[in-house]
Amino acid sequence: MQLDKWLVPEDLHYDRKDYWVQPAAGEVVIGLTAYGQSVAGDVLYLELPPVGTLVRRGEVSGSIESGKWVGGLAPPVSGMVVEVNSDLEADPAGVNQDPYGAGWLIKVKLTDLSELDDLLSPGAYREWIEEQIRREREEAAVL
Amino acid sequence: MSDAWRLLDTGTQPAAYNMALERVILTARSRGLIPNTLHFLEFTPSALVGYHQSVPLEVEEDYCLHHGIEINRRVSGGGAIYVDEGVLGWELVACKDTPGIPGRLDDMYRLLCEGAVAGLARLGVAARFRPKNDIEVEGRKISGTGGAEAGNALIYHGTVLNDFDVETMIRCLRLPIAKLDDKQVQSFKERVVSLREVLGSLPSMPAIKQAMAVGFASVLGIRLEAGALTEQEKKLLEQELPLFQSGDWIWGTRQLQDSSLSTVDYKTPGGLIRVTLTLDRTRRRIRYAFITGDFFAYPERSILDLEAALKNASCEPGDLLQTVRGFFNAHQVRIPGITPDDFFYALQTAVYPTGRGREQSFKTAESSAGR
Repeated sequence: MQLDKWLVPEDLHYDRKDYWVQPAAGEVVIGLTAYGQSVAGDVLYLELPPVGTLVRRGEVSGSIESGKWVGGLAPPVSGMVVEVNSDLEADPAGVNQDPYGAGWLIKVKLTDLSELDDLLSPGAYREWIEEQIRREREEAAVL
Repeated sequence: MSDAWRLLDTGTQPAAYNMALERVILTARSRGLIPNTLHFLEFTPSALVGYHQSVPLEVEEDYCLHHGIEINRRVSGGGAIYVDEGVLGWELVACKDTPGIPGRLDDMYRLLCEGAVAGLARLGVAARFRPKNDIEVEGRKISGTGGAEAGNALIYHGTVLNDFDVETMIRCLRLPIAKLDDKQVQSFKERVVSLREVLGSLPSMPAIKQAMAVGFASVLGIRLEAGALTEQEKKLLEQELPLFQSGDWIWGTRQLQDSSLSTVDYKTPGGLIRVTLTLDRTRRRIRYAFITGDFFAYPERSILDLEAALKNASCEPGDLLQTVRGFFNAHQVRIPGITPDDFFYALQTAVYPTGRGREQSFKTAESSAGR
């Protein structure tokens, strides 16, 4: 498993739960990274917070199911949901197939712009993935 | 993993209590209120759907109503199950960063299922883990598993079929057997197997729990200490129970989804392949595949393994062709007179039962399979 397998676009921000964030004029688009969707596996169900929901950084506001596992969606920034990728709720395959494009999750109007400063740069996120891959290798060696 | 885990046994409880308690223990673990826990639970007759499933699509509600079967919803994913006094539930609730528990889901499934496999081995059952997350004996499922997470904690749970009432299961769940004859229904029932059937007699419940506990402890390298629910957990349970007893939780429509049933007979030189699929056409996925026929497969279990590989697989032609060919490439299977592609065509005929879409799918499959 090599790092270069996982695309980390230069123009996005990231967090350690494998979300990407694309800021534009007080709003951000949020999605799962290529590495993040690979860890989750094939997404079967996705429940996104409806437009108008106030989401808080790190707090669960939706769910994602893959291979009988239900995980929480916890946005990396706080704000109000202004748009939801409703195509994904019918068929979430886009999260796996095109994580940085058709697989985007929600658009949020930020309540605290300074939260963007806490996100990871592409370089820092790459280091985070490398760390995770090292951990996976060690775990695989034990299994 | 040297810290002691709590061994918790809450005995037989109604469905809403059991389902609420799963969330309570998970929440308590994520808040650091309790240690990692191995929990045994037992059930009154209950039909339990997966977190995102729709009750009307999965459960025969009238049957349940008239036979005292409680319906509820799990916090975990996966499909609907029927459980009763003949089933032992086990669950592991742990902090996600517990050393030794893999972060990648497939690796975690394997490790935690190996704990259950080790427990079954102590009872004299040669069970095996089958990806993604079943435990089987000779291809027949003896334990299904699933999981969920909250904050920094995870729950991974499964069942052991001790003495399983398969008749009630096929009546209370909406399974793809409506149009099948008796012989095929019998074949369907043989997809699952119980401890009693494997062993010829049933060990006592305490002996089964003891074996499972030792199995998990040995594989995870942990020490178990018997414990009870804490006061904080009891309080949380009081708060959560009304939600789990409510119609909002049980019937809440969470997802756009559909479930359509399709059965086809496909003739080959080696015999007839009968494929029954439940399909989620919205998501373009196979929910469940049931394959019978008058062909001979060596080893016999390969068809059950193929069904497992098809579960939740994409039914797009190229993807499906890859899944089927991938399966036969990875397994030593001999079926005189039938090729892997025959299974693909049989499956595709079930996905596209009418002419045009079908021909189209055959043409596009080859070209897109190599993507």
